[in-house]
Amino acid sequence: MRKVWAVVRREFLERVRNKWFVIATVLGPVFVIAITVLPSLFLMGGSQRRDIVVLNAGAGGLAQRVEAQLARTGAYSVTVVDVPEERQVVVADSLTRHVQGNILSGYLILTAASLEAGAAEYRGRNVASIRDMATLESAVRQGIVAERLTRHGVDPAVVREAQARIDVRKLRISKRGATGESGEASFMVGYFVGLLLYMIILLYGINVMRSVIEEKQSRIIEVLVSSLKPFQLMLGKVIGVAGVGLFQFTIWGLSGFALVRYRSQILTLFKVPADAVNAVKLPSISAELLIAIVVYFLLGYMLYSALFAVVGAIVNSDSEAQQAQQPVMMLLVFSLIISFSAFADASGPLATTASMVPFSSPIVMPVRVATSDVPVQDLLLSMGILAASAIMIVWVSARIYRIGILMYGKRPNLKELARWARQS
Amino acid sequence: MNDLIVELEGVSKRFAAHVAVTGLSLKVPRGVVYGLLGPNGAGKTTSIRMMMNITMPDEGSVRLFGDDRGGRHHSARIGYLPEERGLYPKMRVLDALVFLAEAKGVERAVARRKALEWLERLGLEQWQKNRVNELSKGMQQKVQFASTVLHEPELLILDEPFAGLDPINQEVLKETVVSQARAGHTVIFSTHQMEVAEKICDAVCIIAQGEKVLDGRLGDVKQQHGGTHVAVAYEDSAQGGAGMRIAAPFVTAADDSGVFAELTLRDGTDPQQLLEALVRGGVRLRRFERIEPSLHRIFLDRAGAAARADRREDVTHA
Repeated sequence: MRKVWAVVRREFLERVRNKWFVIATVLGPVFVIAITVLPSLFLMGGSQRRDIVVLNAGAGGLAQRVEAQLARTGAYSVTVVDVPEERQVVVADSLTRHVQGNILSGYLILTAASLEAGAAEYRGRNVASIRDMATLESAVRQGIVAERLTRHGVDPAVVREAQARIDVRKLRISKRGATGESGEASFMVGYFVGLLLYMIILLYGINVMRSVIEEKQSRIIEVLVSSLKPFQLMLGKVIGVAGVGLFQFTIWGLSGFALVRYRSQILTLFKVPADAVNAVKLPSISAELLIAIVVYFLLGYMLYSALFAVVGAIVNSDSEAQQAQQPVMMLLVFSLIISFSAFADASGPLATTASMVPFSSPIVMPVRVATSDVPVQDLLLSMGILAASAIMIVWVSARIYRIGILMYGKRPNLKELARWARQS
Repeated sequence: MNDLIVELEGVSKRFAAHVAVTGLSLKVPRGVVYGLLGPNGAGKTTSIRMMMNITMPDEGSVRLFGDDRGGRHHSARIGYLPEERGLYPKMRVLDALVFLAEAKGVERAVARRKALEWLERLGLEQWQKNRVNELSKGMQQKVQFASTVLHEPELLILDEPFAGLDPINQEVLKETVVSQARAGHTVIFSTHQMEVAEKICDAVCIIAQGEKVLDGRLGDVKQQHGGTHVAVAYEDSAQGGAGMRIAAPFVTAADDSGVFAELTLRDGTDPQQLLEALVRGGVRLRRFERIEPSLHRIFLDRAGAAARADRREDVTHA
């Protein structure tokens, strides 16, 4: 065991001392937060005010109502242009040129038919901004409804009252009762957990592969296998790199905890008022979820790192590995994609099945735990299946690894790999 | 004396495409410098890997230190230098040495102390904190020797140790081998350079195409080979040409190197007759001496023409 320990220590220290470890430890969370939060920020994004024209081609009072609605949102500055219906096409053409010339963001066409058919048309440069388009649509819809009601003699005051803002709060109920956690927060936590597990399993799996390739390429492998069994070497490597992962987790966990715990003090340093700080609701992360993350990281990492070790053992160089690692990468990517289905329906057939299958469960199950209540027996069953498969895959991998590390030249095909695994 | 350090018995190893070693048996007693000789592809590396437990023989048994648990089990007692050498390029020199010793089962503190001793002995102590890839190739080779011997192994197994070394490191290595042997340790090394083996070995085993050609103590091997052998040195290569024409009727085999030749005389031929013929023919000589056959000669005679093609490859690429 002292020999295995020597390998563990080497793998751990060589990595932790490396400047990349420091960089990854600092930048890792920044990166994860960036890709979790930024896309939604950009899409939701309060972009600058849009200048638009409402082209009133015989829509009557509807145009003013829509204008008023849009102006109230603060996202648009609106000019109403009245045109006779027969000139609509000509004016629209000139407005199109204004849009192309960056003078206008877009224009909304309201015609006499808009009111009866409930149809309007917006032409603009950027129609992908989810929030802006939602605002526009709701303004048009409300304008049309109000105009229709008014025409049928409903009191405008009643119309206003009927259109008052409606707010539906979405709160998740767990076994411990209402969590006070919003649907959005639980989505964010799930997304974050899935992405985090995907990234660290991939990152550390590839680390193991690199380490195998380095030993093979530098030809030190022969001295090593004359001193210790290939299995001891692989085991030491896998444990050492896992140690680096757990160490990094601990750093992230502690600093995250400190940030949350002392957030008011820290933010006050940056002159953020205390009220604003307390107004921010943090999603809760249960102990159950933390345990699930750590357990699934360890087991999932064990399984995938064994596969990556095989990839390292059967190739001769990093560039060859790029290609050979594809099948293993695909397994991980599919798991991440399936984990998204857990947001839509955490207890649905796809998510529940994938949370039992050993290759996808390390990512899918923690996401299910983050977004819903998973029965304990399901959790235990999934962990059991994963643990058993991980041990089996480590065993098979070690047998292939043992032969692969001493082979140079042509990469073996699947048939040869199967033969190596069977060889005594 | 039945103190055998390494014993191979009827060992065979086949690979998918070819047979590497067939029925090889050899015995290496304690304290001997043992040369495993043969041309490239003869099966030397495969034999050594089987001693080290890196590849498993298909047939036969390998015993080290009197048991068959394999080289890995005895790794703390063995210093192994493979043909393909390498160190962790990004590790610090001292760390790399300590790690390699630890992997053999040496305690960390002991490994560290000995590593420092060796770095000092090789004049590399100021490099201990540098990364391996910051060292010159020659220095890396020295670090590699240090990693092979620093745990004071009783048995050194060196696969083509002289190949690729610069002249300075060849000396360092030779001194290391000699001092290990004088300390009573056993050294096994493979080479295709017969001249080197002749100067260092107590005993040899010559293999060709996976099979043993002969083995035994160097003196016995030479004596058993028999025949009358003569070394001739000519004044220049033109004289050499003339000399070889005159000598031809007297010899059965000639290893002609231009101005020097090693000749095997026809049975019953007196060397004196050859000398007279040469002098009478006006050939100017620098040396004429009756000698024991060289290993190279023995190898050529025994391993035959198949090996001949390889014999000029013994050029060191420094």
